[in-house]
Amino acid sequence: MTLKPLEIYKLLPKKNCKECGDPTCLTFAMKLSGGKAKPEACPYLDENAKTILGASTRPPVRKIRIGVGERAITIGEELVQFRHEKSFFHEPGIFIAVNDTMTAEAIQERVIFVRDGILTRVGTDLRLSGIGIRSLAGSPEPFARAVGAVESVADLPEVLMAGDPAVMEAGLFVCGNYRPLIHAASPSQYREMCRLAKKYGCPLALKADTLDSLAELSGHCTAEGVENLVLDLSSPSLHAMLNASTAVRQHAISRTTPALGYPVCIDTSRGGHADASLITGVTKFGSVLVCDDLPEASRKAVLVLRQNIYTDPQKPIQITPGLYRVGTPGRDAPVLLTVNFSLTFFTLQGYLEASRVPCFMLIVDTEGLSVLTAVASGKLHEALVRDAIAKYGLAGEVSHRTLIIPGYAAPLSGRIEEAIGWKVLVGPRDAADIAEFLEKEWKT
Amino acid sequence: MMGLSTLSEWTGRIGELVIGASHAEGGTRSHVVRIGGERDLPYIGTHPSGHKPLVAYELADDPSLWPAAATRYIGDWVHDTADWAAYAEKEYTPDLIRLHLTSTRHRGFSDTSRIGTTIESVLQATRLPLIVEGSDDPAMDSAVYQKIGEAAEGERILLGTAEAGRYRSVAAAAMAYGHSVIAQSPIDINLAKQLNILLRETGLPSDRIAIDPYTGALGYGFEYSYSVMERIRYSALKGDTDLAMPMISSATDSLTVKEVREAQGSEAEKTAVAWELYSMLPATIAGASIVCVRHPLSIAGLKSAIDSLWNGENVEGV
Repeated sequence: MTLKPLEIYKLLPKKNCKECGDPTCLTFAMKLSGGKAKPEACPYLDENAKTILGASTRPPVRKIRIGVGERAITIGEELVQFRHEKSFFHEPGIFIAVNDTMTAEAIQERVIFVRDGILTRVGTDLRLSGIGIRSLAGSPEPFARAVGAVESVADLPEVLMAGDPAVMEAGLFVCGNYRPLIHAASPSQYREMCRLAKKYGCPLALKADTLDSLAELSGHCTAEGVENLVLDLSSPSLHAMLNASTAVRQHAISRTTPALGYPVCIDTSRGGHADASLITGVTKFGSVLVCDDLPEASRKAVLVLRQNIYTDPQKPIQITPGLYRVGTPGRDAPVLLTVNFSLTFFTLQGYLEASRVPCFMLIVDTEGLSVLTAVASGKLHEALVRDAIAKYGLAGEVSHRTLIIPGYAAPLSGRIEEAIGWKVLVGPRDAADIAEFLEKEWKT
Repeated sequence: MMGLSTLSEWTGRIGELVIGASHAEGGTRSHVVRIGGERDLPYIGTHPSGHKPLVAYELADDPSLWPAAATRYIGDWVHDTADWAAYAEKEYTPDLIRLHLTSTRHRGFSDTSRIGTTIESVLQATRLPLIVEGSDDPAMDSAVYQKIGEAAEGERILLGTAEAGRYRSVAAAAMAYGHSVIAQSPIDINLAKQLNILLRETGLPSDRIAIDPYTGALGYGFEYSYSVMERIRYSALKGDTDLAMPMISSATDSLTVKEVREAQGSEAEKTAVAWELYSMLPATIAGASIVCVRHPLSIAGLKSAIDSLWNGENVEGV
């Protein structure tokens, strides 16, 4: 478990020498506890303190990088079992697989799809992460050719999937300098795979039949000098996969079994549940998810699920305040006020689009709070509305002087009306009722 | 994988809730379903504790107030609620039917006797256990829930939906006619707990409450619902008996989100199904015992994924 600041403080020299760069030992202890400083920064630690702090400040799930350049991904470094305890930090990489029996053209088509596909949501670009390359032919040349075909069109992170070290070496000869994940070492050939991982400085995935033998194997690999490891927990049974990934996370963060303190890899093509396997991997601790061709609907859904699960639960996603248009609103179109909590914004926007009434959305800055909480906490108030109307030039956009406010902001209607000098209409509480409301109540 | 296993140090247990009554119990259902009973996280353990999550198919007595993506696929069956239910049971084999009385949403609705007839005809048309959603207007709640309760007497239905501001009519109908209640709170563990306490104070036993923490659609707040479900399950397993009721989750807005509305041609069906699967399967992983969908093609995929998560059954036999 992570030590508390005071527990760490007891192990420090308490000289406040400032040589670590911090003003006092206590502030240094607080940084150590939060993982924001390294124990080595203190020159006066005794051996005992070094051992304890070294073990307790290292992230319980090792941080690994796959790929190089702009699209490289970082995985691991997770601290909790449930996202509500703090947050999940590094979202899983989703890798689309090609194999060495495909033509170069077919491979390139799939790679370009991963390279160029973007889904923009809540102001963020969501993309698939990289390419898995499977050895099916079982010999070095076709594998090297397939890797070459991938490399010819993109600089994406790669997972090289071959159980034969000779085949793996042929692939690494082509792309080994771009830090692909080597997949995978097993108890029978791990020495060979470790040699390759060291030679090319690549992370290494491990496969074994049980969690015990996986822990044992990771011990062997670190003894060989390979520390950037990933644990493969693929199984045709979703039950086995979920139980294994949960066990690995529990053993890692409780530091019960440090040999399991590595990110998890799942090949979702095992068994007949590609979607369900992806879902399980995204929600429950997968970090490298390899899937065969992903249908468009599944691609969108999994990118959005990944974004949802890896959103910091303490930080609501915010929309830039301003005047937004739905359709092509004229000068007599209704104006609806709401807050800049993205969920509120997108929900209302969706229902307004469905209503087919062109209109303006006036979005004010409530620091990402929903209507209900913004009203309760005083973050939504008449001065904010008045200033937003002036700032975004609303009076010049419409010929009328009527503002529709959310149902939950009804207690503010009088004060807003007074502050802005416009007529205020109280809208429905539920965005789902907005079409009916506009139909019945909206007259300029 | 064998050997090292999950670490469980739970003391609590989720209560059990029964839906449906067989002939022997005074009802007419071919089978009854049990939910809850877990002593660990969802699907965890060599043999997971408690009961497997179930899939409910949602339909509406007035299809004009139902998402187009759901009714389009079913076609003409939607014009007769009983036919719709019977067809869905036979073609798509959900575990339960959830009937939304959308006719009560019309302004000035007063025809409660028609609700009674609808429920009786649906009960005759399907042998599956039933969930019924009544009105959402306090002014008519009392009459509507009284009628639902009466029409389904003896069938031990799950009756929705109680909220903090309006729960008495639902609870009264459930107690008078032997049904259970869905208790919905707005994505907030404390409000969920508070409502359970309020319901208990009306005299409704804990084993007749299902928690609905409200589920935002995928991409539209789903993560808040996902975490509230995890927190509720966690607190219950830690021993909080006021939260130890099974949960129900519905992808209510999935079929009206922008992604589904804007998808063209056959992509529309696929996106609708993906949006339901990618929110309802995670809901079971977070702790929901009943997940509800509106697109009939979502049912088979969800049931087979739940089977594989539950006992490792591998449909493809790989």
